Amino acid sequence: MNLLAGFLSADAGEIRLGSTPIPQGDPIACRQLGIEMIHQHFMLVPAFTVEENLALNRLPNLHSSLRISNLIQTSLTAAKGLDWEVANDSRARDLPVGAQQKLEILKALGGDARVLIFDEPTAVLSPTEVTELFTVLRRLRDAGAVVILIAHKLSEVFAVADRVTVLRRGEFIGTALITEITSEKLARWMVGEFPPAQDIPTQELGPPVVQADGISVIGDQGQLAVRDVSFEIRAGEIVGFGGVEGNGQDELAEALACLRPAAGALTLPVHRHRIGYIPQDRQADGLALGLSIEENLLIKGVDRAELVRRGWLQLRAIHRWAATLVEKFAVKAESARSLAGSLSGGNQQKVVVARELDANPELLVVVNPTRGLDIRSTQFVHDSIRQAAAAGTAVALFSTDLDELRALASTTYFLSRGELLTGNSAETYLGAKA
Amino acid sequence: MIRTVLTALGLVVVLALTLACFGVAVGPGLLLLTEGAFGDKFAIARTLVKATPLLLTALGMTVAWKTGVYNIGGEGQYIVGAVFAAAIGKLLLPTSPGPIWTVLMLIAAILGGAGYASLAGWLYVRRGVEIVISTILLNFIAIQILGWAVEGPLKEKAGQVPQTDSIPDAAMLIKFDRQMDLHAGVVLALLAAVAVYLLMYRTRLGFLMRVTGDNRRAARANQIPADRLQVVAMAISGGLCGLAGGVQYLGIVGRLGTTFPEQWGFLGIPVALLGGLHPLGVIPAAVYFGALFAGSDQLSRFTPAGTSLVYVIQAVAVLGFVAMSTVKWRRRKPDGRTESNS
Repeated sequence: MNLLAGFLSADAGEIRLGSTPIPQGDPIACRQLGIEMIHQHFMLVPAFTVEENLALNRLPNLHSSLRISNLIQTSLTAAKGLDWEVANDSRARDLPVGAQQKLEILKALGGDARVLIFDEPTAVLSPTEVTELFTVLRRLRDAGAVVILIAHKLSEVFAVADRVTVLRRGEFIGTALITEITSEKLARWMVGEFPPAQDIPTQELGPPVVQADGISVIGDQGQLAVRDVSFEIRAGEIVGFGGVEGNGQDELAEALACLRPAAGALTLPVHRHRIGYIPQDRQADGLALGLSIEENLLIKGVDRAELVRRGWLQLRAIHRWAATLVEKFAVKAESARSLAGSLSGGNQQKVVVARELDANPELLVVVNPTRGLDIRSTQFVHDSIRQAAAAGTAVALFSTDLDELRALASTTYFLSRGELLTGNSAETYLGAKA
Repeated sequence: MIRTVLTALGLVVVLALTLACFGVAVGPGLLLLTEGAFGDKFAIARTLVKATPLLLTALGMTVAWKTGVYNIGGEGQYIVGAVFAAAIGKLLLPTSPGPIWTVLMLIAAILGGAGYASLAGWLYVRRGVEIVISTILLNFIAIQILGWAVEGPLKEKAGQVPQTDSIPDAAMLIKFDRQMDLHAGVVLALLAAVAVYLLMYRTRLGFLMRVTGDNRRAARANQIPADRLQVVAMAISGGLCGLAGGVQYLGIVGRLGTTFPEQWGFLGIPVALLGGLHPLGVIPAAVYFGALFAGSDQLSRFTPAGTSLVYVIQAVAVLGFVAMSTVKWRRRKPDGRTESNS
């Protein structure tokens, strides 16, 4: 969709609107053709007022005088047509998420839009706001515009769409009129063959390490990301959390890793440093790329008495210990003193895994641990997680990869809009309640 | 190793080019500079005296910057350190002056600088006030504090000039030779360099500070108290800058006046960068710039170029350094991001 709106250029092929080819990589030209995109991550200037934000897309050029009230007339008329109250003088950052979404839509309606692209607009909205949004989408359609809605949820597609097209991993899967397709078939298009549940060899499970009883977590944008969920993870158990990205997985993982406050009764290991965390973004949250492999391992190793005595680093012991870990976890590096930033992605991940598992955690929180890794590294990381569980660690595995969940987890929950669903079907995965 | 040699060569080239721009014959100019900086024991003493406050403030910058807090307030912490030392000096007046004075006044200088810098650190972690901005502003406040102190509570007994009374000789830092300015502060600075090295590279605290500086998010994800460490780093950084102020006060000037600030706090930043933000690397960097200051005195006696030469060279060297590290960073990033083979 970024191609269609001119934010990216295609490597090959062209897109035509009517009979005119769409200029590629030129969002302004696309806007002049009447293509508007409402981005999933809002494109607002937080410190600007509502009026100023509305005018953003309408600026004629850089040197003529600026009359904001003229520029935003169309947007304001559109707002009136939709019965939306607009607080012109508030700053965008002070608005609740739903109002920011409205602002984003009004911004798009400020021109002569013929094609409107909504990229997952419902992710941060409450159910009532979603219903309201769908009414708006229908009205826009009735007014003659083309509305493209990118969605992951079957219920949304059936609620509002006339025709549906499925893309999976960049490939075209199929297209159908909504009246001619069942939710089951659509789910199969979206997910592919749903992998059958595998038999995870069950071992003796220990006492519960994590007990969550009705916990809720607030996300970065102030939305309720996790709503009133309950589950438990026992020592030696791998519990999977799946579902479409952006349904509260990150927030729940951070709450379990003690990095985000949670409301409700959440029992975690008493000592924070007994919680291992393998974050989704190893470069941003996992590693200090400017330090050596050894130093990155030491981030968790500083609690070991033989490595740090009375606040002093025992360099010789540290060198020996780090070299053993590098070898044990098959990190391919010149030496343990090479910079972590010089490693390939797979080896960086191995450093994180080595560090977290060596600390022998009671609870291990893992988020998409094999994203971007090749098959061998993936296998290695999977084996490591299994071994940790076999040694009695409770593992919370967050993954968007169904095969990964099937391969590792003995129980899998799916998150949809911050709620937990269980069940073993493609529909559950996509968030429709089975 | 190769990098160090290249840096040294680069600095000589920069120096030569700058001299040429100033219209000074390069060969004789370099000769005069070298003579002024290392020609005899007096020249060497001058170099070391100039290098001392530079080394201390540069160490302060190293600690803070390595922990990810960009302290630009070395100058303010330097001034406040000296004012604290002077205040203690005034309190001690009824007693007879001796080495105990020196020790107490230097401790006061450290605490003054540390406290002043912690203020910025605290504002950052509690209120999100950018360190760069708060420390710059605190510099101006420090100058006002100095002005107020020498006009008011610390004003000399005679009451004529806005300055403090001179410190009795017995309370000054020991001088090695009556004919030279070289004082014990240079030893203190070198000890400080070793101490900072041990702190940053041999202790748990320093290690966690470096992790925080390299990646604050990763530090927090690993339950490292990044906020607290950054305040601690600011305190240590300010303490070193405050010590620089105390050393300059008790080693050279002996009394505080409104002319006391000589920008050593600011000059510590380029020295720290040139030293690669490494506590031992800043030693040669401080000596190099100390030598330039000492040498340029000599140069200005025979040519139209003077001390301003030093600032130009500093600026060019830092720009060069920044440019070089950007190139390195750009090269590293795509490599670090390759997600291909393991």
